[in-house]
Amino acid sequence: MASVNAQIKRGSAELAILTLLAEHPLHGYEIAKQIEAQTGGVLHFDMASLYPMLHRLERKSCVKAEWQTLPNGRRRRCYRLTASGRKQIAPLRAQWRAFFHALESVTGFQNA
Amino acid sequence: MPDWKQIVRKNLPVLGVCLPEFTEELATHLEDSYEALLGEGLPAEVAFQHTIVQIEGSCSVWLVIRFLQEELMTGFIPKVALPGLLTSAAARLLYWALAMDPIRPKVIWLVGGQLPLWWWCLLPVCGALGALLSQRNGGSLLRRMAASQLPSAILCTLVLLLFVSGFTVSGLVNHYQSVSARVESLGLVPPGFGLIPAAFSLLGAGIAESGTRKFRGLA
Repeated sequence: MASVNAQIKRGSAELAILTLLAEHPLHGYEIAKQIEAQTGGVLHFDMASLYPMLHRLERKSCVKAEWQTLPNGRRRRCYRLTASGRKQIAPLRAQWRAFFHALESVTGFQNA
Repeated sequence: MPDWKQIVRKNLPVLGVCLPEFTEELATHLEDSYEALLGEGLPAEVAFQHTIVQIEGSCSVWLVIRFLQEELMTGFIPKVALPGLLTSAAARLLYWALAMDPIRPKVIWLVGGQLPLWWWCLLPVCGALGALLSQRNGGSLLRRMAASQLPSAILCTLVLLLFVSGFTVSGLVNHYQSVSARVESLGLVPPGFGLIPAAFSLLGAGIAESGTRKFRGLA
């Protein structure tokens, strides 16, 4: 399995998190596990990359965090997408699409 | 079940002071990781070792650095840089005012005229100003402290740059000053214009912080 450079991973994290949260609210551990599962382990976020990123998104009002008590009595901090965060997804997707298109035209990696 | 909250507090004391709201969240993440590993059939001791590694050694350092970086850089200009620069200007004005002949206090310098004692004594006012301006713009505790420290950080950087350039130039040309005199001033000036002012500014920021809390408590 190809490993992904940390810079690329960091840049893509915002879009990955916002897209996941667009479906339903999740807590930090679930976000990390779902990204790992859906990308076949290519994208793996440890605590040092995930939580500061969530903190930044919260500061930018893209996500809202709330403590919730689960049926088993445990407390988890759940993140849900705000209206502002939802608006960010389309431009971010467009940026990444343009980036991959540009890269493809230079390297032809899709046909390789 | 290990007390993950306690373990996080012990391994990440800086985070506990600066961003205490994340201590519990990180603890819940570790708890979930630990339980997932137990669910995979790992013995408790092995699961514990695999989990705790996420907040040990370089991982803990990176975690704190990334949190502080995000905390400081989001809204850095209105919440840290502008209050810090205004505080810096205030500190400079005070220094120049005290150095002017008509109002120069009798005891203004220490150690043969190299350390400005009276300026230090007034710096808590500047530190408090930086912290309050940052607070007015919605700065968190960490940002308020950073805003109060910015003048000292700027001054310290400038002094060190001056020393580096001074030593470089002195090495190229004949200079009247002896090496021992230059080394002596290197030992006096950076602490006198960087570290000690930083401590006095921080004291002021701390006083402003406790004063604001008391005021809020009364209100």
